[in-house]
Amino acid sequence: MAATVRVRSGKTGRALCALSLAAFVLAARAVNPEGIAVGVFAFQGERAAISDWSPVIDHLNRELPGHGFHLRNFDADGLREAIAARQVDLVITNPGYYVTLESQFGLSRIATLQSPHAARSGQALGSVVLVRAERTDLVNLRDLAGRSIAAVAPEAFGGYLIAAREMLREGVNPESAVRETRFLGLPMTRIVDAVKNREVDAGIVRACLPEQMSREGQIRMEEFRVLSPRRVDGFDCVLSSPLYPDWPIAVTRDIDPGLAKSVARVLLSMPEGQDRVSWSVPLDYQPVLELYRDLRVGPYAYLRDITPEGLARRFWPWLLGLLALLAGWIVHTVRVEHLVHRRTRELNDSLAAREAAERRVRDNQDRMEHLSRLSILGELSGRLAHEINQPLTSIGTYANGLLRRDAAGTLTPEALREACGEIASEAERASGVVRRIRHFARKRAAVREPVDVFRLVEEAQRMVAGMLVSCPQIVVECEAGLECRALCDGLQIQQVLLNLIKNAIDASRGLPDDRQVIRVRLTRADSRLVVQVVDRGAGLDAAQRERLFEPFFTTKPDGLGLGLPICRSIIEAHGGRLWAETNEDGVGMCFSFQLPCHESSA
Amino acid sequence: MNHPPEDCVVHVVDDDAALRRALRFLLDSVGWNVRLYASAEEFLDALTPPETPSCLLLDIRMPAMSGLELQQVLSERGIALPILFLTGHADVSMVVQAMKSGATDFIEKPFRDQVLLDAVAAAVRRSAEMLADSGRREGVRRRLQTLSPREGEVARLVALGEPNKVIAAALSISEKTVHIHRQHVMEKMGISSAAELARLMLLADPSALD
Repeated sequence: MAATVRVRSGKTGRALCALSLAAFVLAARAVNPEGIAVGVFAFQGERAAISDWSPVIDHLNRELPGHGFHLRNFDADGLREAIAARQVDLVITNPGYYVTLESQFGLSRIATLQSPHAARSGQALGSVVLVRAERTDLVNLRDLAGRSIAAVAPEAFGGYLIAAREMLREGVNPESAVRETRFLGLPMTRIVDAVKNREVDAGIVRACLPEQMSREGQIRMEEFRVLSPRRVDGFDCVLSSPLYPDWPIAVTRDIDPGLAKSVARVLLSMPEGQDRVSWSVPLDYQPVLELYRDLRVGPYAYLRDITPEGLARRFWPWLLGLLALLAGWIVHTVRVEHLVHRRTRELNDSLAAREAAERRVRDNQDRMEHLSRLSILGELSGRLAHEINQPLTSIGTYANGLLRRDAAGTLTPEALREACGEIASEAERASGVVRRIRHFARKRAAVREPVDVFRLVEEAQRMVAGMLVSCPQIVVECEAGLECRALCDGLQIQQVLLNLIKNAIDASRGLPDDRQVIRVRLTRADSRLVVQVVDRGAGLDAAQRERLFEPFFTTKPDGLGLGLPICRSIIEAHGGRLWAETNEDGVGMCFSFQLPCHESSA
Repeated sequence: MNHPPEDCVVHVVDDDAALRRALRFLLDSVGWNVRLYASAEEFLDALTPPETPSCLLLDIRMPAMSGLELQQVLSERGIALPILFLTGHADVSMVVQAMKSGATDFIEKPFRDQVLLDAVAAAVRRSAEMLADSGRREGVRRRLQTLSPREGEVARLVALGEPNKVIAAALSISEKTVHIHRQHVMEKMGISSAAELARLMLLADPSALD
């Protein structure tokens, strides 16, 4: 609250200054009970600060009485806040903080501390990097890559930043290339102790601290070595870095320029002397700014944000969100991909399933066609039987009528003509039925393509096994290395095979198991493929064999006598031959047919 | 009772014209009087109750009215005509039904001629018997119609084997009167025993003595 009042009065004072006498202003100032506040960065604690800077305050109060100069100690953040809140008029701080505050709050340095140890340039701040003397593996700052180091604090000027810049210059990034950086804080002697006790490989301290400790008997200089050691003309301490200007004293924008001028004059007039604080003209703090820029700290911290790492550090919540979004998007994309893939696969599967089902239906239709043809060829259909029975009955009836009339002596030429005419036309009618059946059997357009007959045989075997409740054993024998492809209509040859196999099964029905075995043999004779269906069944006598291929000849009680004639016509239409013979041992029959082989070279 | 073959009619119903003609050719050769019909309907249109022995040679399978249906119609009309069915190979179930419905016989195509001719002859004989029975029945009915109502009542009880005494009590007449009626019945019917009377009455009407 008091500060606010003071600031306000300051503004008022400055406004009045433009209108009134300076003396009046000074009088008004004199009544300010708080006086001129001197903010000090007390890096070594309040007591040390007071002991260090009280001679300066005393001197100011002595030379410029009535202004009530007094010390206010702050840590780094406290000092910044005090300046922001305009609670201090003068600021004494280290060069690093100074350049930060200068750019941020518009401080103006009016003098630089004059160290008794300073080099000729007036510069007195540097860093020294210590290692234990026996660490001969560590010579230069670049040797610190992968090592552990100790320092005061990330923002400590002499106790870290100066050395850090030198490390950077030697190619070792102090933030990433070292194994570990321990910030041990003040007092700085902790760092020297850590090196001494081998807790770390190296330690960064303000220049001249080792010499000071040695003088005070805390350490022996022989125990330590300095990395990248250098000397600066007129500077008594060993260094690992160049020198930088010492602490400045600066004025805030709020202070009266006249007073600022007076303060500067008073400070510069402070007598020099051993162990006494003295001030010189303000030095150039550009090197400090460069250091900060190189290290991307302080006013140049924003540079850090430009690197991916810095950007990541600054924007990590955003980045995290972005990453989350990205991850979400990726997951979504992957999921969509996956779904599309899966649906595509499902679609393909269902298409394939449908295709397979259609193929099955087609196969079944083919099979049904086979079976129906087979049933017509091998067994009686009532309709067909009727159609064939009618002319057969008429023929027989006419013929017998003729015989009876002849026997009774009542046969007239008219009756003979009538009967013979009828018999001829009924015979024609019957053969018409047979032609229709044959045509039916051959209804398919003539197809001639290379067909694997072995596969046909296997299929026929399966179909027969599927059709019969108890199917006898069917053995398929194929000559080794036989090329089984023939130029034919697979369906028709299949029909022939089914017919022959079924005949063989019928011939051996009811016999002992060993005589029910049916063999289908595939051999080659010249350019012809020979297929034999061999049974061990009842066999046929010579008369039966002779009439075997005649239409309507049958040995089966329910047979139509058309199967074999049709089979023969199919095989002959293929340019082949179908014949039957009794097996050599006289048991059972062998039905053979041959087909022209398909010459793959053609 | 013997009829010459040319008096006996063999009706042939078959939708196959060639087979119809062939059947006539064969049946002609042994002298039967053959009549051909292309369908069951044609046959029904020309049908009159048989007056001479005859039979029907009927194809079991036909496009419009089948042989079985024709058999059914004839049965409904009370026409007594022996039927021989011509059947194909796969008609077993139809044959069974035809036989249950009173078919005389069935002949499977293709048939041996002798089998067919024998079957036709048997059917015609059967027809002749049926005609004879039918003629006798008519004669008995005519004679039964000459009995007076009282004679009819007495005749029924006599045929049932009742003694005169019981008949007299049942009809509330004297035994003597019963005896006279009985004599008249025997005279009119041309018979001499109660057993014979019973046979004739059953011939005329199978339910006469119920």
